[in-house]
Amino acid sequence: MRIKEHPILTFPPGHKVTFTCDGREVEGYEGEPIAAALHAAGIKVLRRSTRHNRPRGFFCANGKCASCLMVVDGVPNVMTCVTPLRAGMVVETQRGKGVVRHGTD
Amino acid sequence: MERTEIAVIGGGPAGLSAAVAAASLGAQVIVIDDGARPGGQLIKQTHRFFGARSHYSGTRGIDIAPLLVQQAQAGGVKIWSNATVIGLYEANLLGIWQGETFHELQAGCVIVATGAAENMLSFPGNDLPGVYGAGAVQTLMNVHGVRPGRRVLMVGAGNIGVIVSYQLLQAGVEVAAIVEALPYVGGYQVHAAKVQRAGVPILLRHTVVEALGDEEVTGAVIAQLDDAWCVVDGTQRTLEVDTICLAVGLTPLSELLWQAGCQMRYVPALGGHVAVHDERMETTLPGVYVAGDASGIEEASTAMLEGRLAGLAAAMRLHGETAEGLRRLRETQEELAAFRGGPYGAKVREGKEELGLSRQCALFPASAMPLEARAGTTLEAALASITPERLARGPVAVIECLERIPCNPCVEACRQGAITMPGGINELPQLDVERCTGCGVCIHQCPGLAIFVVDATYAPGEALVSLPYEFLPRPQQGDTVVALDRQGGKIGPARVVRVRQTPQMDRTAVVTLAVPVEWAMLVRGLEHSRC
Repeated sequence: MRIKEHPILTFPPGHKVTFTCDGREVEGYEGEPIAAALHAAGIKVLRRSTRHNRPRGFFCANGKCASCLMVVDGVPNVMTCVTPLRAGMVVETQRGKGVVRHGTD
Repeated sequence: MERTEIAVIGGGPAGLSAAVAAASLGAQVIVIDDGARPGGQLIKQTHRFFGARSHYSGTRGIDIAPLLVQQAQAGGVKIWSNATVIGLYEANLLGIWQGETFHELQAGCVIVATGAAENMLSFPGNDLPGVYGAGAVQTLMNVHGVRPGRRVLMVGAGNIGVIVSYQLLQAGVEVAAIVEALPYVGGYQVHAAKVQRAGVPILLRHTVVEALGDEEVTGAVIAQLDDAWCVVDGTQRTLEVDTICLAVGLTPLSELLWQAGCQMRYVPALGGHVAVHDERMETTLPGVYVAGDASGIEEASTAMLEGRLAGLAAAMRLHGETAEGLRRLRETQEELAAFRGGPYGAKVREGKEELGLSRQCALFPASAMPLEARAGTTLEAALASITPERLARGPVAVIECLERIPCNPCVEACRQGAITMPGGINELPQLDVERCTGCGVCIHQCPGLAIFVVDATYAPGEALVSLPYEFLPRPQQGDTVVALDRQGGKIGPARVVRVRQTPQMDRTAVVTLAVPVEWAMLVRGLEHSRC
């Protein structure tokens, strides 16, 4: 799903890193939004809706709509469409409203 | 607590232009932007802008953003990135989150240039992954280099719908169709023509009725609408797509203006609730200004002009009015009026009039054209001057620009003075076929990619058609390609005799095809297989 050549744009080569999504190892480029890395890896379902357990992906890719919330390194409700990817991140599909783990600060 | 003379909320075209203008009058400015890098929507707009040279016409949005940032920085403007304003309080105190840091910023004046959010559309399955906003699709592919899917249904044939469809094709994504509920294309005809000649059908009076799929989009059901906007039973059909892209309008992001206590009004022509503002973009709260889509949905070119107005006005509010500042304010108001003077500006003119602006200034000239006048001419009428006699005398430009849109780079491009626009930038280009030498410099400078050069004197029975081309792979001289008509229909094989692409042409190639002479006025595109 990565664009390799484009008539107008050039995409500077990124620094490849690995992270996990629901335990599965995934590759992405450091600094790109988590949701973009997941999409490029073919993962479109980012969370489950609160009431009906419906699959949710991103919608606005702009940090405005909250459709892309995931649990990242144990923190729920992270807007993955605007959160930069770092090596070794542990990303999980969010179910419902997420659980804030206390005592981790 | 930090202090600044002017705080600009939003680092898009309006906000950056406001900052540049205010700094040019000596004001100290901070731009607060929630993006990782400034530029707002400009950073994903790969198409050339319309308008006049002073509106960056002919320049791609992606190249305008760094220009504005450069100008802002040269003027001493500070830009805070990844920073979100969460409150606009009494006496222009701002609360700002930047990462883990909370700032309190005390500003003399505030310019709200927060832009807009994309509209949703109600249909079963609209919450499935694979249903994305057009802006999201643009961000994913043009900023991050990731294709949204393999095959897309575009919903909406306004400018965003047709422009993003073209960008999808450029990124190597198939566009199954564009559906538009209105009985006409809302976007510019030249933008629509680009996707049509690439073979994308635009289905008018059609809409999406359902997204199919359990975990993600696997298809879309579309259907025809009647004049009462109801689905015509029996017209439902399924398209195999993995992405449904919604380009169904924008809503001004006006939360901060509400919260600050500005007088708000619901104006459908401006896309929703907007702050009441005057001809200097000042809201009902003294010292609080608004510009760009936040003041009413329009486009980036006018957002830059509104931003400039707000920046000049805010700086003069703090530093006192100067003759120079007032002159630039007036000039910008006149430019804005000229830009909006055409039929495409009718909706915004109506909306801004509802805010009471028409009584306060001459923003709306009597000559302004209503929306009905948008179809300036027909293809047949536009081509009437390209007579067989003229074609027999040598190459000539064929300008297929049929609507009164605010745009004039062709006039400036022509070295022969053969293209004119006597009534201003919203007029149709007039070609003097006797002056035109068919040199072709206008082809790549037309932001609408609507100019072609035809040479019917090339060889016995053979004509040359030169056309703008912005896809990969580029055809090479000697290749045989498939010549396409204006609707993307295959006419037959054509020989590539020349491909021109220089740095000055800014990534638009001009491909010259040799075709049977009777195809000269039919061929407007080409298909080049990747094999």
